[in-house]
Amino acid sequence: MSNNTKNLYEVMSPWAEADPIPLKGIAPRVKDLSGKKIGLFRNSKRAARPSLGVVETNLKARFPGCEIRPYAFMPNAGITETPEWTAKFEEWLRGVDAVVLAYGD
Amino acid sequence: MYAALAAEERNKPTATLVNQGFVNDARSAASSRGVPGARIVATSVPCEGSVMEEIEAGINAAMDEIVAALSRPLSAEEKSPVSKAAEKTSRAIFKGDIQEVNRFFYRRGWGDGLPIMPPTEEAVSEMLTGTDLPADHVVVKLIPRLGKATVEKIAVNAVMAGALPTYMPLLIAGLELLADPTSIFGTTGVSTGSWAPFWIINGPVRHDLHINSGTGALSPGDIANAAIGRAMALIIKNIGGARKGVEDMGVQGNPGKYALVLAENEEESPWEPLHVERGFKKEDSTIAVSFPNSYLQTWPFSSDDEGILRSIIHAIYRPPCIVMTPPHAKTLARRGWTKQDIKEFISEYARIPAYQSGAYWGTSSPASAEGGRPGLYKNRVPMRDSDSIAIAPNPNSISIVVAGGPGAFIGLHMPGAFATERKTTRKLTLPSGWDKLVAKYKDVAPVYARY
Repeated sequence: MSNNTKNLYEVMSPWAEADPIPLKGIAPRVKDLSGKKIGLFRNSKRAARPSLGVVETNLKARFPGCEIRPYAFMPNAGITETPEWTAKFEEWLRGVDAVVLAYGD
Repeated sequence: MYAALAAEERNKPTATLVNQGFVNDARSAASSRGVPGARIVATSVPCEGSVMEEIEAGINAAMDEIVAALSRPLSAEEKSPVSKAAEKTSRAIFKGDIQEVNRFFYRRGWGDGLPIMPPTEEAVSEMLTGTDLPADHVVVKLIPRLGKATVEKIAVNAVMAGALPTYMPLLIAGLELLADPTSIFGTTGVSTGSWAPFWIINGPVRHDLHINSGTGALSPGDIANAAIGRAMALIIKNIGGARKGVEDMGVQGNPGKYALVLAENEEESPWEPLHVERGFKKEDSTIAVSFPNSYLQTWPFSSDDEGILRSIIHAIYRPPCIVMTPPHAKTLARRGWTKQDIKEFISEYARIPAYQSGAYWGTSSPASAEGGRPGLYKNRVPMRDSDSIAIAPNPNSISIVVAGGPGAFIGLHMPGAFATERKTTRKLTLPSGWDKLVAKYKDVAPVYARY
């Protein structure tokens, strides 16, 4: 005689809830990069700096009067993790119209 | 990615360049911070590449898209993304036999590839006896997803891992450590470096829970060592949301991410144990964490102090956590070596020729990232080919614990650039009735058959 009984388990989910994060739109774009100040932001990963070097060359060739403002952030941490970092970043941002970021990954 | 989001929040348009293999990771990061529309440009520039031909080709090919990312007008969705309703997960998620449950969990990405124990209400209730905290208490919100680590969710993952209720105080304290910024889990948890959490347990709890500190402490075979590490790994995935290939971008992966747990053999150690070094009392039970991505074992050149220490300085390539066997520890102590002496010796004499250092190649340090080799002594003197540099310039970035069997091999776990003076250790909070709980599971220990 066969035994068709099998143990069934009603199980709970291991997946945690997370509070919904209020969504934000992104900033308006710049119509034309000519004459604009473009920030180039990078971290410490090694492809970042040379990548932005090529970006700079291209932007200057394409957009007359385009000015480049570099920013290097080396800690392996968030840019706004400390008040000092935040203040420095914000000061730099005030001087640019748009930002290209390279993380080297 | 977070810098891009910070810039967008401050009304500056951005274009973020990432290697094409990291696009999902970048999108996940942007969404998790509430900016799903952040413009990401995928490039073919190899991750951490340094060959200019490849970098130029990748960036030149992406320039049109970079310009468009900065200048193309926003879509309606980019201007005003629609918020999702608050996430609710069902309490009971599935019913089936053991195989069906395992396949269900595996397909959802909730497992680690090994069979899990089904987290039934009954099993989770038993697990909750390991803590006095209420089931709905949120211990931490764990990055990257900021998932709520309720005591109940911790218990569910602990059941899956095969843990005993007596492990709950360790899991709760371990989670608190991960959420503490000083543990740098935020950087290591999802890094390309595949850094695995290495848990070291001190104090009386080691004996309460039969956590192995002796022969084969890091080998399979001990429920505590295996299940504590495994539970934490499942928690990181299912509560923190660090999914392999999406948020967790570990390139090679790391078997230590299954479980890397040991207890310090305080009784056989001639020195003060790790937690006492870090300011706790000997009778406190604690859990500490570091994040190595490399583990190797070295065999001492001779069994005296010189042979032991030289084998270490010639084996390491980053500041290590050294797991010293009791016999070696006793040899060193008899010859007058304290833990601090050993750290200072290694700091001074573990050196490599400058050209063997990544920094020398101009690729891996802040100074070298500026385009040249870093210098010596706060960059004041240019580095030359003939220089040697210290592998662990800060002795306090080295840690030493005593564990392992009676043999000769010494364990070296290397957390790399993240080895600092951070003393990431937490005292456990034990539930009332702890002794009774321990007694209930005391006999859950392997008894090897004789043959």
